[in-house]
Amino acid sequence: MKQFEYFSPKNVVETCALLKEFENDAQILAGGTDVLIELRKSSVKPPRAIIDINRLNELKGITETESEIIIKPLTTHTELGSSSSIKKHARLLHIAAHVIGSPQIRNRGTIGGNIMNAAACADTVPPLMALDATVKLLSVNGERIVPIIDFFIKPYQTIAIKNELLMEIRFPKLLDSMKSMFLKLGRRNALAISRLSVAAILRKSDSGLIQEVRIVPGAAFPKWQRMTEAEKILVGQKPSKELFIETGKRVSEAMISFTGRRWSTEYKEPVIAVLVRRALETCQ
Amino acid sequence: MEKDEQVKMNKELKIIGKSERRVDAWGKVTGKAKYADDYNVSHQLIGKVLRSKYPHAKIICINISKAEKLTGVETVLTAKDIPGAKVFGVVVKNQAILAEDRVRYLGDGVALVAAVSKEIAEQAISLIEVEYEPLPVVSDPEEAMKPDAPVLHDDKNEFVHHHVQKGDITKGFAEADFIIERKFKTQFIEHSYIEPEAVLAEPSEQDGIKITGCVQNLFSTRRSVASMLNLDLAQVQIVQSTLGGSFGGKDEAMTLISCRAALLAMKTGRPVKMVDTREESMLESYKRHPYVLYYKWGAKKDGSITAMEIKCIADGGAYASMSPFVTWRSVVQATGPYYCENVKTDVYAAYTNNNYTGAMRGFGSPQVNFAIESMMDDLAEKVGMNPLEIRMKNGFETGAVTATGQELTHNVSLKEVLTKAAAASDFEKKWKRNREAKSDEKKHGIGLACSYRGVSLGAEGTDAAETIVSVQTDGSVIVSSGITDMGQGAQTQMSQITAEVLGISMDRIHFLNTNTSRVADSGATVASRGTIMGGSAAKNAAEKVRITLLEVGAEMTGDAVSDLDLLDNYLINIKTKKPLASFNELATACFNKGKPMVSHGWHHSPKTSWDERQGQGEAYFTFVYGANVAEVEVDIETGKVDVLDFVSVHDVGKAINKGMVEAQIFGGVAMGIGYGLLEEFEIEEGIPKQANFDEYLIPTSMDVPRIKAIIVENEDPTGPFGAKSVGEPTNELAAPAIVNAIYNATGKRIYEIPANLERVLLGHKLTRTGKRGLEQKEIEETDSCKTRGNKL
Repeated sequence: MKQFEYFSPKNVVETCALLKEFENDAQILAGGTDVLIELRKSSVKPPRAIIDINRLNELKGITETESEIIIKPLTTHTELGSSSSIKKHARLLHIAAHVIGSPQIRNRGTIGGNIMNAAACADTVPPLMALDATVKLLSVNGERIVPIIDFFIKPYQTIAIKNELLMEIRFPKLLDSMKSMFLKLGRRNALAISRLSVAAILRKSDSGLIQEVRIVPGAAFPKWQRMTEAEKILVGQKPSKELFIETGKRVSEAMISFTGRRWSTEYKEPVIAVLVRRALETCQ
Repeated sequence: MEKDEQVKMNKELKIIGKSERRVDAWGKVTGKAKYADDYNVSHQLIGKVLRSKYPHAKIICINISKAEKLTGVETVLTAKDIPGAKVFGVVVKNQAILAEDRVRYLGDGVALVAAVSKEIAEQAISLIEVEYEPLPVVSDPEEAMKPDAPVLHDDKNEFVHHHVQKGDITKGFAEADFIIERKFKTQFIEHSYIEPEAVLAEPSEQDGIKITGCVQNLFSTRRSVASMLNLDLAQVQIVQSTLGGSFGGKDEAMTLISCRAALLAMKTGRPVKMVDTREESMLESYKRHPYVLYYKWGAKKDGSITAMEIKCIADGGAYASMSPFVTWRSVVQATGPYYCENVKTDVYAAYTNNNYTGAMRGFGSPQVNFAIESMMDDLAEKVGMNPLEIRMKNGFETGAVTATGQELTHNVSLKEVLTKAAAASDFEKKWKRNREAKSDEKKHGIGLACSYRGVSLGAEGTDAAETIVSVQTDGSVIVSSGITDMGQGAQTQMSQITAEVLGISMDRIHFLNTNTSRVADSGATVASRGTIMGGSAAKNAAEKVRITLLEVGAEMTGDAVSDLDLLDNYLINIKTKKPLASFNELATACFNKGKPMVSHGWHHSPKTSWDERQGQGEAYFTFVYGANVAEVEVDIETGKVDVLDFVSVHDVGKAINKGMVEAQIFGGVAMGIGYGLLEEFEIEEGIPKQANFDEYLIPTSMDVPRIKAIIVENEDPTGPFGAKSVGEPTNELAAPAIVNAIYNATGKRIYEIPANLERVLLGHKLTRTGKRGLEQKEIEETDSCKTRGNKL
């Protein structure tokens, strides 16, 4: 029989106190699209406490400053996908929000949950990494701000310690000259876990040369990363199909050098290269 | 009776053919329908099953003492507590209700618990100690047929061998200009009914038992429960709750849970409720048979086929289940609806330590159709014809003699459905254009497939059914039948037939769910026999009641019976068209005169025959014909296939309810898309890799395209108002149509389904290493997004 204590704190201070009290044996409940499923598994020992943060209105909503977008962690994927700020200033994240799960999951699931659960196939993470996002964590010991690129250790593991609460996600708005894309490949057209995905941002100069590029593949690495080596060959170049094919190859090589050859490599090796090429082509 | 038939012949159909509202629709959309899990009674206990730890092992001992001592546990039972038959089976009785000395697959039950709550029952299950001695596992049917393989039952694993022989294949191959030889493979698939197995078993007042549950085949479940408990059939009552889908899947799976709940209920004297979780359901339930198919055809340059040599091996899994019948349909239909004088077909089934395999919508036809229709396209390619031309050249016409020597005397509409499907999809033009299209990232393809299918059980066994029509004194009508409704619409079509014959509107009819103690054993509602059998019985019953009503009407009015008719809820005079009495008044009069207003209708199918030794016979009393066209877009760089458009043409004889026939077509195609592109229940060394729908992928509404359903109606004298079958035919053609479309797009043929990302891009399957599904371990791997194990 699974037993645990359930808390529904009214504010952040209370939440942090509870997280402190239960130390390493509390589970935060946001949208519940992962937590509730895990709890059902007979092989999983339940935490001592479930802390439901859905009453924390201070953790909801999307705001923008002149230069930045701030997303609170309880923002659902549906809210993310329907935000005009996100659509205008972070198109790749807007696209990602629309291809997560199904309408039901998008209505429940939150961006904060997607980040904190840290599955390798989390669809909001590659866009956030490409956007140079930072995350703010809070605990009774104070707050800290971490670049998202340094946040993940491996699948399902982040640097956040158990008593820390995710407070916000923040990133600079994309410039008008920056085009972006998120491509997801799943086995079916909805309710699909990413087989592979690619987030890309590309900025060209007036003369048509690539000035800046960011590429982050999803579900390809145990730990997300920018494809800095591959990005390098693009900067200062004129965009071309050949160049993008070469970039794709570099990403593919990087993936294999990191993960080694495994059962899925025969498929992922050519396909990640294709997705990178397509993402860059559509960023123009 | 004859006079009555004549009257009806002249009558315009009022209800048959119309898209009448389903009789079960209102309850289902308002939430009033009661599914099995909605039945609860006071003092009920919850039953749970301990299942095997190994796919193949000896049971050394079972220690239940700790579980028994747990507070709230009423009983813990093992196989030795079964008073009667410990095994069951429709054909071969070898399936264990609880494994006694040996487990043969991971879904085998070893012990049962009944407790006051689900939580306590689950805890008690975890306290049962079982000592096993693991045995070697065989997980591949071809391996299982080798002499040194571990044997599951008796002395060998091969338990079915059906064959068909016609002409002389040696002569046929000698006459051929060329030979095409191919190997195909199909996969296990899950029925994916939305409602998992659930029953409530209640000891009854006269030492019997009543079971309410989502049972598809109530009469065979009753037989198994009775023989397990040493009860008379009359003491066992199985009541059908509203079924949340079945697709052939709630037969043995429901017998098993019914037997277990009944055993617990009889031992404790209390009602016992059992409900499977989705994980338990997937682990234990039977699947569609995977087949390995070896097809060898000899043909001439003009496209005619001189010989077919076919060998199929079906994975029967741990128990016989329906394998003997499923493979029999395969052997009968293995050559497709095509002329060929020289045929040798052998179909085998072998035991393995996999999930047992049984009935599933299609029943042995989807596998062979995939092979036949792929072969046909290969043949077309070889002789430079298009897929339509090759089928029109070889396809059966009325009077054709099948591979089993049966002359098809009904209207063989194969070419009609083919022509209609091709015309509706502009097939030939698109097929040519796609082939000539220049290379691109995404290519379009169009594919054609057709089939013929024997209606109902055929020579499998006795084929008869009962429907009861009972008119009430206020003119309302109760209909019940031994044919069950599992969502396919059986109740609605029987209601429409009853309403048509009695000249009343549908709102007067109330349909009762099947109850084995109140209707005769009507066999199983399988083999797309609901309409032809249950509908014929309904027509027969309603006609008898109608005669009584007309006779009473004649007495009331003084008119001759031959001048009277029932129309639009009135008794009318045919000549004057004058309404003489309302149906309600007529019913009341009938009651007052002491006339019987209830009648039971019985329908026994026309004769069929089968000579197992010769492999010849009149396999089925009639056949249906269908053709599908799929249009796909193939992403040749990722292997992703999208079905863009679909045309599905079926000759159903007569559509009793057009809307329901279309719905069957839509659903059948959607399931067929899953079979062709997505679904695969993978079992490795006896261990299933998928435990739930997060990993077992069925199509979503976003994966199913617009489907054009075209209904062809060549009325067949063997069915009510000319109706034949629709349920299974709609599900047996989508996969080959899609695979042929992929070939049209890419020039590469898929020989193993599903045509998933890897098979389309690389031409072969990739197998995941590491455990998934069951007992998940944390895998540090990017591919394992759902296997995070003990993270919480």
